[in-house]
Amino acid sequence: MLSNSGGAVPLVSLAGVSKRFPNGTLALDNVSLDIPEGQLLSLIGLSGSGKSTLLRHVNGLLRPTSGVVEVNGTQVSSASNRELRKVRRDIGFVFQQFGLVGRTTCLENVLNGALGSLKGPRYGVWSYPKILRSQAFDQLDRVGLANQAYQRADTLSGGQMQRVAIARSLMQRPKIMLADEPVASLDPESSAQVLDLLLRVSIEDGMTVVVTLHQVELALGWATRIVGLRDGKVVLDRDATTLKQEDVMEVYQRVDSSLSNESDIVSDDFASVVPAP
Amino acid sequence: MSGAHLEPLVKSASALPRAPKNWRTSVISAIFVGFVIALVWSWLYIDMTLSTVFGGFSDIWNLILYMFPPIFDNFPEALRTTLETIWMALIGTTLAVLLSIPLAFMAARNTSPHPAVIAVARGIIALTRAIPTLVLAAIFASSVGIGPFPGILALGLHSIGMIAKLFTEAIENTEATSRDAVMSTGAGKWQSILTTIIPQITPSSVGTSLYRLDINLRESAVLGFVGAGGVGFLIQSELRGLDYQRAISAVTVIFVAITLIELVSARLRASIIGDHLFSPSKQTPRSMARVASDQQKISTALAGRQLTLPWTYERVLRASVGVSYLVMMVVAFATIDMPLLSAFSLVDDLAKGIAQLFPPDFETAGSELLKGMLETTAIGFIATALGLVIAIPLGILTARNIIIRRVVITVTRGILLLIRGLPELILAVIFVAAMGLGPVPGTLALTIGTATFMAKLIGDALEEVQQAPREGVSATGASRVQEFISAVLPQALPNLVSQTLYMLDVNLRSSTVLGIVGGGGIGFLLISAIRGYETQTVGAIILVIFAIVYAIELLGAFVRWMVE
Repeated sequence: MLSNSGGAVPLVSLAGVSKRFPNGTLALDNVSLDIPEGQLLSLIGLSGSGKSTLLRHVNGLLRPTSGVVEVNGTQVSSASNRELRKVRRDIGFVFQQFGLVGRTTCLENVLNGALGSLKGPRYGVWSYPKILRSQAFDQLDRVGLANQAYQRADTLSGGQMQRVAIARSLMQRPKIMLADEPVASLDPESSAQVLDLLLRVSIEDGMTVVVTLHQVELALGWATRIVGLRDGKVVLDRDATTLKQEDVMEVYQRVDSSLSNESDIVSDDFASVVPAP
Repeated sequence: MSGAHLEPLVKSASALPRAPKNWRTSVISAIFVGFVIALVWSWLYIDMTLSTVFGGFSDIWNLILYMFPPIFDNFPEALRTTLETIWMALIGTTLAVLLSIPLAFMAARNTSPHPAVIAVARGIIALTRAIPTLVLAAIFASSVGIGPFPGILALGLHSIGMIAKLFTEAIENTEATSRDAVMSTGAGKWQSILTTIIPQITPSSVGTSLYRLDINLRESAVLGFVGAGGVGFLIQSELRGLDYQRAISAVTVIFVAITLIELVSARLRASIIGDHLFSPSKQTPRSMARVASDQQKISTALAGRQLTLPWTYERVLRASVGVSYLVMMVVAFATIDMPLLSAFSLVDDLAKGIAQLFPPDFETAGSELLKGMLETTAIGFIATALGLVIAIPLGILTARNIIIRRVVITVTRGILLLIRGLPELILAVIFVAAMGLGPVPGTLALTIGTATFMAKLIGDALEEVQQAPREGVSATGASRVQEFISAVLPQALPNLVSQTLYMLDVNLRSSTVLGIVGGGGIGFLLISAIRGYETQTVGAIILVIFAIVYAIELLGAFVRWMVE
């Protein structure tokens, strides 16, 4: 079940994907990755290693310079806007900075998750069908924030904001949940809460999950598969249960070890996130 | 003994190391010298001696004496035309906002469909600002007929320049993650814009629109000078008929209206931009009762799983502001005779009106054109400089962090607010009535307008300075004046320079229209050409005005870049 090739047809598949940004940075370097249905995958790596870029290719927020991205049978990398919208409806995306519209209520933010299934622009809670409003309430209830439904989103704490963002993704009833550093802006307690929530709802709804994390212990704690990126290349791809700390070390090792200052910082950084053996 | 410590470090002045020269400071000094020369030249050009100024003040004083006691039997007419002035400003501003919204979305980098669209939209926005409202109104009045309608069109078109520019900036300053997030749910482009960008830009856009409404009310008060509706026509004809006792009553009505609306709008704007319209900073028994009742409403709604937002105090207030606006718009449309049905022929009329301006005829006006242009520039320079000289002490008197006595601040601010209630052109028309035609009354009117406006800007700039350097200087034993000169002024200086440039820009635009009421400059030529249907001369004059305005904008941008 945990083998890299997974089931017969992978739900998400990247083949030889490279991405060069207009400023010249090579963010992804010939990445190939198959993700079978139901897998809980964690992407690890330093900041700038290409984790976020990879996630944004899966739902087509970015298009590759070369290579093919296929999700649920659709070629995302060459999809038209209309096809793209259709694919995105099946993919929840959770951002580090939550991406809530601060001045509107939590209920409206959750309702925004239904936009993909509606035609035309919407403004205000009243503009959504009653049935969707009722579902939005249910999703808020699920993340434990039904009492904040009529509160403005910018009055919430960071952990609460991220839970509203998760409820918004759940409104889509997605097959795949992508989360880009979902707990990087949160304190340890909220981090644990939010990750637990994400994991619980994903298992309940049978979702495939890809999460980028830079805290290795969190990644090891709950993922079934760990993929490590360094400088846009896949340098590690393992079943989480058989993973050893030294393997993880390798992900964080700089290619250019001559920059001794930087590697010091890296190892300091690393020491704080991985418990000493 | 202590003398030994005071041994000078550097023995003679010649041994002092010189501050390194750089080209920037030399260019800035050159510009400064250039401004001084321009100022002296301006002074000589319009021959503004101290005796003419003081003679002018005594003339004005005499006129004011003639105005008393006011006769209020024209009150119904004054009230009617003042209301018309208000409705014109309201409709004109609304028109500008409606036209600005699509333009702004096309001009903003994060929402525009194509770079070419950005360039075109920004070009249109810049162009609408180039021709002063009064000039536009005069042109429209001659092509669609006199009345409030050309005035509304002029207000609507000219205001786009400011409103759309600020809307564009607001759109570009929105936070992008929420839009990415909504796009990720499969939402389309317009869905994501409406859902994430509109809520973010609403407070600042409402603030911008209210601010422009204030400006437009002042502009609208003088549109009657060119036959474009409102109270201006009444004031001007009463002054021309030497009916000073009635003129002052009409002026009083519009003055009260402008001051009241400015107070309301400033209050509304501050709370909307500060985003605390509905959460008062002070806790009073009433506000606490309100919060409690809101919480009650919300928990009832939650308990009953009510699927619509409960009517909290905040929501009620928000809705009543919106409803009042709509009611006023309905009244405005009912009061003002708007030839909406002829909208198609209107476009045609306007196109013809514009076509008539070409090819511009520079010959007929000839040397008058050059003279008008020079006079306009001279008036702008003098009014800015004089206004600045008056504004600096007034501005200091309004800064809360410098003046300790609250009374002084309140009184100064009150006086400034009252003077601001009189639009510059109304001042100008009164001054012209007192002193006769010519650039001096126009310059004085512009100077007073500049002084009150700059005083506010200076007060704000001074209040923004950091406290630490002031404490540092005070701690060395400096007096309050020394501390002000060495610790406050240097901090506020860049801001002041840029505000002065902005004021010069505004004043050069204003001085192009002073002549319309006989206050000197190119406006006089313009209005006579319009009245004489010399359309190609009008075209030439507009091009000249455009050139002046554009030149000063480029100069301003250059100086700001240098000072940066």
